Amino acid sequence: MSAPKIRLDSVSKSFGGSVVAVDKLSLDIRDGEFLAIVGPSGCGKTTVLNMLAGLEPATSGTMALNGKPIEGPGAERGVMFQDYALFPWRTVRGNVEFGLVYGPAGNGLSPAERTERVERTIEMVGLKGSQDKYPHQLSGGMRQRVALARLMASEPEILLMDEPLAALDAQTRVILQDELLRIWGQDRPASERRTVVFITHAIDEAVFLADRVAVLSSHPGRLKQIVDIDLPRPRGDATRRSGDFARLCQSIWELIREEAYRATMN
Amino acid sequence: MKRMALRLVVPVLLLVGWQLLASGSAQAPRPSTVVEAAIAMLRDGDLLAGLATSLGRVFAGFAIAACVAIPLGIAMGSMPTVERNLDPLVETFRPIAALAILPLVILWLGSGSGAAIAIVAYAAFFPILINTISGVKRIEPSLMRAALTMGLKPLTRMRVVLLPAALPSILVGMRIGLGIAWTAIIAAELAVGAKSGSSGGIGQMMFVFYAYSIDLNGMVVCMIAVGIVAFALDRALRWALAITVPWSRL
Repeated sequence: MSAPKIRLDSVSKSFGGSVVAVDKLSLDIRDGEFLAIVGPSGCGKTTVLNMLAGLEPATSGTMALNGKPIEGPGAERGVMFQDYALFPWRTVRGNVEFGLVYGPAGNGLSPAERTERVERTIEMVGLKGSQDKYPHQLSGGMRQRVALARLMASEPEILLMDEPLAALDAQTRVILQDELLRIWGQDRPASERRTVVFITHAIDEAVFLADRVAVLSSHPGRLKQIVDIDLPRPRGDATRRSGDFARLCQSIWELIREEAYRATMN
Repeated sequence: MKRMALRLVVPVLLLVGWQLLASGSAQAPRPSTVVEAAIAMLRDGDLLAGLATSLGRVFAGFAIAACVAIPLGIAMGSMPTVERNLDPLVETFRPIAALAILPLVILWLGSGSGAAIAIVAYAAFFPILINTISGVKRIEPSLMRAALTMGLKPLTRMRVVLLPAALPSILVGMRIGLGIAWTAIIAAELAVGAKSGSSGGIGQMMFVFYAYSIDLNGMVVCMIAVGIVAFALDRALRWALAITVPWSRL
């Protein structure tokens, strides 16, 4: 077993001294794995992601990437935000190339190489032909693709995704789940895949996408259990219909059902 | 065609009403006499020269205001310490009308272009500043966070995220500021005109009509010209807004 890509050791986060959002979370994230984090609302999922991104410091505990402490944002950790955070004044192409043009991700690339990578990424997410449109001219699903392309174009080591599919309708979600796995590289050997930390509140989405699902409990956010998802890859519609898939969803649901009910009642 | 005709209904009614009301008095300016006066003033070039002088001052004062208000607004909008320290000062000066500082300005800068430009700069400064501050503060936090996670350096972040994100609001401030600047210049020139050593400009022209020749037709021509220029300025800025920030629905 190789050293973890990211190690969270007893990480806690409290706001205003009293509200504990995350409580003593310890978690190893492996190189190249797709890790999903699920939990009822209020379990601090987004807080965990923001801490990994370096956007919020931990109140206590340590976080390390490749053995080095995480002390702030870095271009090696790309983030896809829940609201996509697209720049409205930039076209699809302008958004996708952003990190390469203005950030360190483009260092060492010639303009021609940069253009080539931007065009290839746009094609990969199925936005060819829409390069010159502005975000406000796009549907929700297309905006989501732009955000994904912007994330992929910079080729970060780690992809941090905060409920990226939450705002989409059911059909678009299913299609984009398939595409996400394709882009992540589920057809390629595990050593060529990037590490993904994927936050979601949808259990079926977590089971369909992930190698492992970390289940958090809420108030305060604690790690309840890590569930290995041993469904074979590549996954697709057959996976969604399989009995194993349903059983895994059911067992995770049972882990969080009680709290989810309680959260709804309050 | 039909829409154009509909738009003309109100102006035509106003003109007819004006002509009818004014026909009772010999001195009252009528549409017909005003048009005559306007043609004469256009022919001898006085009207356009006056407008050009005033516009030149407005643009100079407006440019000064924008150059100070935009950087200051960005600093106040993005740095809470700067805002806490400067906000009381800004809010104390903001309610003081541009005309209220006129006596002081004339005392310091005389009654020429310098004073007029200073008044305009003062008047245009506040709307630009306030809108820049609110534009910077209302930036979607995730946009700045996205730039952070992509590893942008602070100055690059300011240039390629903060500035374009706040630009629609800054431009709205400039549009309001330019409108206020144009009202302020007329008032300033009217007031400056009262002093000896005239300074030109459309406002001063109005003063001359009022104080020396009692030419009511000329005054009305000036008023209408001021209105038309204000309308044109606003349309030009709206057009510039639509061109520079096509993503923003303002």
